[in-house]
Amino acid sequence: MASHNVFEFTDDNWDSEVAKSAVPVVVDFWAPWCGPCRALSPIIERIATQFAGRVKVGKLNVDDAQEVATKYGVTSIPRVFIFKGSDRPEKAFVGLTSESELVKSINTVLGA
Amino acid sequence: MAKRPEPQQATIEKMRRYVEKYWEKSGTVGHPDAEVTKAVVLGLAANTEECGRPLCPCNFYPDKEAELREHGRRWICACDEMKQWKYCHCLLFVTPEGMPITEYLPEDHEGRQVYGVVKDPTPDKGRESRDLAK
Repeated sequence: MASHNVFEFTDDNWDSEVAKSAVPVVVDFWAPWCGPCRALSPIIERIATQFAGRVKVGKLNVDDAQEVATKYGVTSIPRVFIFKGSDRPEKAFVGLTSESELVKSINTVLGA
Repeated sequence: MAKRPEPQQATIEKMRRYVEKYWEKSGTVGHPDAEVTKAVVLGLAANTEECGRPLCPCNFYPDKEAELREHGRRWICACDEMKQWKYCHCLLFVTPEGMPITEYLPEDHEGRQVYGVVKDPTPDKGRESRDLAK
């Protein structure tokens, strides 16, 4: 079960929750039957807890939010994007990204 | 969108048997986290029931029928990347440590960026389409 700190992004709330967010946003593009997506999930939950209040962390199910997934040219999943105040990602990661790599990039975005 | 229906047990079992045979054929094994394998087998079974072929569930397809029509078997398990480079980004066919084999991938392939160089512990097996590797 997802942590209460992990948001659920959709086609409908994308603009308000991500593109126009006042704080940086980490988005995990995933699907329920994707093995590495499941392996990434606990990392996303820990990051959501670690950065709670400073960064919005959430997941976007590509089976449901096809409009957003298509807009960002998502092919293989999982894929993690970091946004900061716009709909253009500041950082992008493909595959089962390590927790340390994500934390490092989030800190860079926070400090920029 | 409505939640995708769970595939039938018979389809899941068929995919499970296929995966077990391909582990043997390719000299790979399942991921140490059995939930990873379970999820992928379910996804393959679901895609088989939805569009007739076991499309890789670790990709997003805006249109699955168009994917099959326009790109043929590219992402049908075992996908072209597995048959050419022995690389499974879905982590279904991996080393005993749970790593995807990347040593045959082009250096600019995302698998090399993410996992670095992961050597093939069984180079005498798999890569049945190695001649097609670019």
